Amino acid sequence: MKKSYRPILLLLFAAFEILIISCAPEACLEETESLVKASLYDNTTKRLRSPDSLTLYGLNHETVKLYDRSRGVQPVLFPLDLSSDNCTFVIKIDSVIDTITFRYTSKPRLVSKECGYTFYFNLTDTPFYTRNAIDRIYTANRKITTYNEENLRIFY
Amino acid sequence: MRRTCVFFISLLLFFHSVSARAQDTIEFPLKIRIGMDVAGPAISYYNRDRLSLEGVLSLDRNEKMAYVLEGGYLKFNYSQYNYDYRTEGVFMRAGVNFNLLKPETSTGKYWAGVGLRYGLSLFSTEVPFFRKENYWGTYNSSLPGRTSAGHFIEVSPGVRTELFKNLSIGWSVRLRLLISGGGGRDLRPIHFPGFGNSGKITNAGINYYIVWEIPFKTKKVIRIPETEEEEEEETPVEGLPGNEVPQNAFPY
Repeated sequence: MKKSYRPILLLLFAAFEILIISCAPEACLEETESLVKASLYDNTTKRLRSPDSLTLYGLNHETVKLYDRSRGVQPVLFPLDLSSDNCTFVIKIDSVIDTITFRYTSKPRLVSKECGYTFYFNLTDTPFYTRNAIDRIYTANRKITTYNEENLRIFY
Repeated sequence: MRRTCVFFISLLLFFHSVSARAQDTIEFPLKIRIGMDVAGPAISYYNRDRLSLEGVLSLDRNEKMAYVLEGGYLKFNYSQYNYDYRTEGVFMRAGVNFNLLKPETSTGKYWAGVGLRYGLSLFSTEVPFFRKENYWGTYNSSLPGRTSAGHFIEVSPGVRTELFKNLSIGWSVRLRLLISGGGGRDLRPIHFPGFGNSGKITNAGINYYIVWEIPFKTKKVIRIPETEEEEEEETPVEGLPGNEVPQNAFPY
């Protein structure tokens, strides 16, 4: 075969290889759930501190707990109710019970062809909360996305 | 497997029929080409969720370059466990083809080279159903239909060979780079006409064309003779070790 054809053949085979690779099906590997990420801080030292025991569940969903007397939780992840514009959680920090209510708007977003769609949220208010164990909640970022970004700081 | 066979058959046809001719000037026919893609309808025959029709019009500028205009229509439905997706629309690609073959090899009958394109697509998308599950339960929703415009650029290496007089076949691989798929950051299309899977910024596809050619002008092209590489023959050199003939080799 003439030498002058070799670059053309190489180009064609390279393109054909790219075609075959691009046709291969892929799996869903991205994060698909938008969660409120809340870091827990010691109110005295103002430093990150995980409680000795943390329990979390949705109001009226006490049979299915998100955390059940868990140790070393940091950050706490709150999944928001997709069918509503608000939801309330019961949080038990070292056996002291509080409630936190979120109000938000939501909008759909494509994650990827493989994973499908999810929702991003925007907190419309500072969360409403009781002050038994919790002293203060600071909103660091109102946009609730699939990215690993801190949204709230809970001082207790 | 079928695509692979088509690829090698057209490649064999191409290289089998090519032969160099020794002359100083050659008559190179410039042509208008009208073609249609047969890969799209063939895939549509097996995949009822996809209807793809595509045509091409090209005009030779000279023996090395041709202007190309492609257009087509795509209707595509996609479903998986957590959503359904529909898109329908038209697209066009405009650009040039460069022939990497020498004129005396190409003779207007054979083409092997690369194309560059800008693509524009106008389409509507709809997500009739999607499902999301989390702690609070399962939530079903949908996204209403809307119209978008997508832009992309394309590099398309390929080959083409004359099968009968003024009738050619050829294929090209399409390597695409997305500029914009429309829909903003949140709801970019999953798939759109002319580009394909827009979930990724790059994509690849293949076209297999049947092309009708209309010669409209003949151009005289000066052939630059190629300096042939001289093959060195291994001839024995007298006086070198190993080539010496022993004195008693022929005793009689």
